Amino acid sequence: MTIPSRQPLPLADAVQPGLRRQMMAVARRDLRRELRRGEVAWVTIPFGAVAVLAIPLAIGIDVPTLNRVGPGLYWVVVLLFGVLVTVRHTATEQGVAAVSARLGIDPAAAYLGAATASAVLLVVFEVAVGMIAVALYDIDPERWPWLLLVVPAVAVGLALLGTMAGSVAAGATATNLVPFLVVPLALPLLIGATAAFDAGLTQPGGILRWVLMLLLVDVAALVLGVLTARQLQETG
Amino acid sequence: MTVTTQDQRRGVLDVAAIVAIAAAVLVAFATPPEATQGNVARLFNIHVPSILVAYLCFGLTLIGGTAYLVTRRLRFDHLAVAAAEVGVVFTGLTMLVGMIWAKPIWGVYWTWSARLILTAVMFFGYLGYLALRRAIDDPIARARRAAVFGIISIGIIPIVHFSVLWWRDVHQPPTLLRPDEMQIDGPLLAAFLAGLVASTLVAAALIVRRYRLAAREAELDSLLASADVPVAGDAVTAPTLDGAP
Repeated sequence: MTIPSRQPLPLADAVQPGLRRQMMAVARRDLRRELRRGEVAWVTIPFGAVAVLAIPLAIGIDVPTLNRVGPGLYWVVVLLFGVLVTVRHTATEQGVAAVSARLGIDPAAAYLGAATASAVLLVVFEVAVGMIAVALYDIDPERWPWLLLVVPAVAVGLALLGTMAGSVAAGATATNLVPFLVVPLALPLLIGATAAFDAGLTQPGGILRWVLMLLLVDVAALVLGVLTARQLQETG
Repeated sequence: MTVTTQDQRRGVLDVAAIVAIAAAVLVAFATPPEATQGNVARLFNIHVPSILVAYLCFGLTLIGGTAYLVTRRLRFDHLAVAAAEVGVVFTGLTMLVGMIWAKPIWGVYWTWSARLILTAVMFFGYLGYLALRRAIDDPIARARRAAVFGIISIGIIPIVHFSVLWWRDVHQPPTLLRPDEMQIDGPLLAAFLAGLVASTLVAAALIVRRYRLAAREAELDSLLASADVPVAGDAVTAPTLDGAP
């Protein structure tokens, strides 16, 4: 029996779960894959830690200076190295997308599920590298409760943008294209995160508008990603 | 060789662009020097129109991409890529002229102003759009993926434009596109408008030519894909024994 290449398998129609269940299934699949491979835990987090360690060697090991610029450097490391978390399986994305389509998984659910898994991993990455930065740069985490808002907001935004860019660049001949696509788009996250951190230290009330900006970026990426997911899943 | 009506129209546009440039240069030098910055301020007649035209081009990329996703007609993809390339050129021109202006006025070619940084980010963002196109071989997949990225990338433009209001620094706030009255004298406004018309016509002429080139490339790809062309294996013949018929 021949099955048309771009049609879902007949069985998939019979047992089609809802969007949320599909999304959670995709997220679980990606997280299980990360548990097996340990790419973020054993490669990306140590790589980020090396960056946090190496930067003072370039700008000088003056502790007050590091204390002052440390938060900004930390968010730059999160942006540049966090992208690697979101694109960890780009090389196989096209094949996974084709299989997902055959199984009848909604493209929006596939997008949201992959982004959810990336967001979880990014929070882990941010916390791990953040602890290293606090220790090495002697950053005062006096108002750390603000980070409970900023860290997940940055993780979600970066995960949504990175997943979308991964889908956009799936099958591209240039293997390192995705970070180049994501970083310019993700700069509002960097601006929002650094400004929110500064505002949290100096004028706690001012943090809210920067958190709102981060959430605005998250919502925009979410809406665009869902609306374009079907277009990006098509093959050929 | 025959000259078609389309060729004639393109020729008219080219001539109009050249005439507009000449007129803009004349008007720019006919106006008196700006009160505080002197002759250097004339560079604004290139700098500001260039960025406005770049915004317009990136808007066309958005329109072309969206229209492609809706209609699946490659002509809209041709429009998107033509506009993006011209937009990148004009963004580069904006930065270059801005740096030439900044050296005598600010004392440095580059300063860490939000507007400058974000304009550079926009430049690299659309370079990414062009890099994405070069990295995808299949024309249909390329058009679709580039359309999506072109739609996402447009978000940077309002941030670039409003950056001078959100982060008040050394870069001056908008002179023309501002909520209240324009802050510019009549002769300087005339020179600016002449520059804007010239830049727009140059961009239009370039987009039309690049659009035509994109259409020709698509035709060539289509011909190559359908042509019965020889392949490397054709040169290989099956081995035969000596004396065999």
